[in-house]
Amino acid sequence: MTVSVAPAPSRTSGALRALLTSDGAVRVIAGIVILLVWEIVVALWAPPFVARPSGIVTVFPAVIVNPQFWRSAGLTLGAVFQGLGIAFAIGTVLGVGIGRIRFVDRLSALYISGFFAMPLTAILPLVSLWFGYTGDARLATIVFAAFFSIVLNVADGARAVPPEFIEVSRSFRGSAWSRLFDVILPTSIPYILAGVRLAAGRALIGAVVSEFFLSIPGLGFFILFQARSFHHNEAFVGVAVLAVAGVLFEIALRQATARYLPWYRRGERGG
Amino acid sequence: MNRRETIWQRWTIYAAALAVGAALWQLASLYVKPTFLSSFTETAARVWELAQTGVLAQALASSLMLFGTGLACAIIVGGVLGLLLARARLLRIALENYIMVLYATPMVALIPFILSMMGFGFAPKALVVFLFAVFPILYNTVEGARSIKAEMLEVARSFRSDEWAIWRDVLVPYTLPFALTGIRQGVGRGLVGMIAAEFFLSSSGMGQIIMRSGQDFDIPSLYASILVVTILGVALISLGHALENRFAAWRGLDR
Repeated sequence: MTVSVAPAPSRTSGALRALLTSDGAVRVIAGIVILLVWEIVVALWAPPFVARPSGIVTVFPAVIVNPQFWRSAGLTLGAVFQGLGIAFAIGTVLGVGIGRIRFVDRLSALYISGFFAMPLTAILPLVSLWFGYTGDARLATIVFAAFFSIVLNVADGARAVPPEFIEVSRSFRGSAWSRLFDVILPTSIPYILAGVRLAAGRALIGAVVSEFFLSIPGLGFFILFQARSFHHNEAFVGVAVLAVAGVLFEIALRQATARYLPWYRRGERGG
Repeated sequence: MNRRETIWQRWTIYAAALAVGAALWQLASLYVKPTFLSSFTETAARVWELAQTGVLAQALASSLMLFGTGLACAIIVGGVLGLLLARARLLRIALENYIMVLYATPMVALIPFILSMMGFGFAPKALVVFLFAVFPILYNTVEGARSIKAEMLEVARSFRSDEWAIWRDVLVPYTLPFALTGIRQGVGRGLVGMIAAEFFLSSSGMGQIIMRSGQDFDIPSLYASILVVTILGVALISLGHALENRFAAWRGLDR
């Protein structure tokens, strides 16, 4: 039997090629290519105020040391976490209720899917009417954005608890309380995590869009203000912070899923 | 306890739930100032009025035109690029992390840039809808196409399938249900983008009605237009669900 062998290169160039085609190197090269294309396209065809990598790098230090910028970021991300916390606490309770009690499910099903389908941007005028042009209006938008994907996913999880688990708990005379905390909630964790993941994305959108609408201090307003005064590079640093926040959250949840729920792959719902 | 309920029973309960909700809404409007909440009957009457005068149909047509254009582009780009990435390993490794970053970035933050670069036409608004919708589609299509078992492709190749046949008979049918999950998510996000574009770029369609009635403190119109947009959202997402379930059967997963 013959084995076909690639024309043997010298050892050093072979090692170099292996390095260049390793996954990490491919990603880095792709990143550089994307940045170069962006730079060149903007330099050739776009007006000078449009953001480009070299411009962003130039303004980066000035933006990063600006306390105003970090205060804005803190306000926005703080509100996102607070809103997610509220949505998570209430959403889990309601979700378990919907998943385990058929009456609650039937009564609320149309409303939950209706509010879930309602575009979160549509409620902005309503929220500003109720809460004024304040941080409370932003928080309300975030809670609204996050709440229903958590409820839907937790309900799916609570519904999917295998009936045998419940029966075993009953046979051992476990209390309803222990059934909730020792059986239903732990079994639903993958669904809960999926819900939180989706909710986090929607919450970020809610935070930014409410700041656009309400003109209250925060990262979204920072971006809007800078972009309006044609400081696109500065504004883009704000977008980068949002991207980092979104990615970090995504990675944290993925790690948690892989670490504590290695058997779990997908089963999420919503958008 | 565990008896099956018939479809009729289930929908009777749904109808009852709707009636209870409407009654509670009407009751609440007695106790809340009319500057905050318009009653159910007033809102319903306003929906009817808007429909009668033709304002609603016009706004819905304009919004759906925008939404449809953006979503169609997102489906084409997301689907084709997704399959391509699944098939070309090097391209996938090169780009998948960057796609994940874009998926996790709130696209709404790009609206101010789009506004000052592209101005107030139809194209920038369709671009917003596209950007909102494309990443869930792309992301789910890649995930789906990647999960094709290597044996399937090997069998196809053993039977001397050419590249075209592999795409037509293996790649596309296998990936379709996953892509539909992405499309359903994209529909939800695209609606958010549609209203955002109609608010922050040139005002038009349902977004314009919502915005204007908010500014004029025309509370019944505000609730009426939000109600219509919600019904539109429910209809589109249910359509997505129906399509997905139809094809999930052949994916052989849940439900």
